[in-house]
Amino acid sequence: MNEGRELEWVSLDPDPVIEAYKRDVDRTLIRENLKLTPDERLRKMVSVLRFLEEVRGSKATK
Amino acid sequence: MTDFQRLLEALVGGNVEFVIIGGVAAVAHGSAHVTVDLDIVYRRTPENLARLAAALAPHAPYLRGAPPGLPFAFDVETIRRGLNFTLSTALGDLDVLGEATGGGNYDALRPRSESRQLYGLEVRFVDLDTLIHLKRAAGRPKDLERIAELEAIKQERNRS
Repeated sequence: MNEGRELEWVSLDPDPVIEAYKRDVDRTLIRENLKLTPDERLRKMVSVLRFLEEVRGSKATK
Repeated sequence: MTDFQRLLEALVGGNVEFVIIGGVAAVAHGSAHVTVDLDIVYRRTPENLARLAAALAPHAPYLRGAPPGLPFAFDVETIRRGLNFTLSTALGDLDVLGEATGGGNYDALRPRSESRQLYGLEVRFVDLDTLIHLKRAAGRPKDLERIAELEAIKQERNRS
């Protein structure tokens, strides 16, 4: 069994593709999420998932 | 839909040693993305393999996407012979990893994790820097957008 405690080396230098994506990140959403606890963030995500399931379900029954 | 609460209750209730990675860890750190499965890295000790098998046994773990009827049992011997399993369970999809891409086994990830309450349960998920590291190590095109968001979260945290 692997007893290694080190992570593989990986470059964390700025990546042009990631930097390009970063410009489109909605930081207002992030700032709102950072006001919540981790528990509240997960519960919020689950409520979004439930909503999406309901929308999918209502489409399927039409 | 994955029942994250009941999956975590099963694992924590079964005293399984694990660290959450992937989408749920990202959400816990502030990501606005949604995720449909739970990814965990479990400790590869004989005792923990037994606890993991026992914790999931009541929830019909099966290889996700595999045809029904295969002689698959998620028991100690199966876990010992394997490493990473993408499972479907009665509670939803669960990725059970002995090692995450980037070299992250439990012993490597635990010191790089945070202990927090989720659904009233004390669980560990990898810290933000480690999550970014694992996503970069995975090198999947679909992760680039997620990495951008995680790095933006880090910037926003540092601003406040």
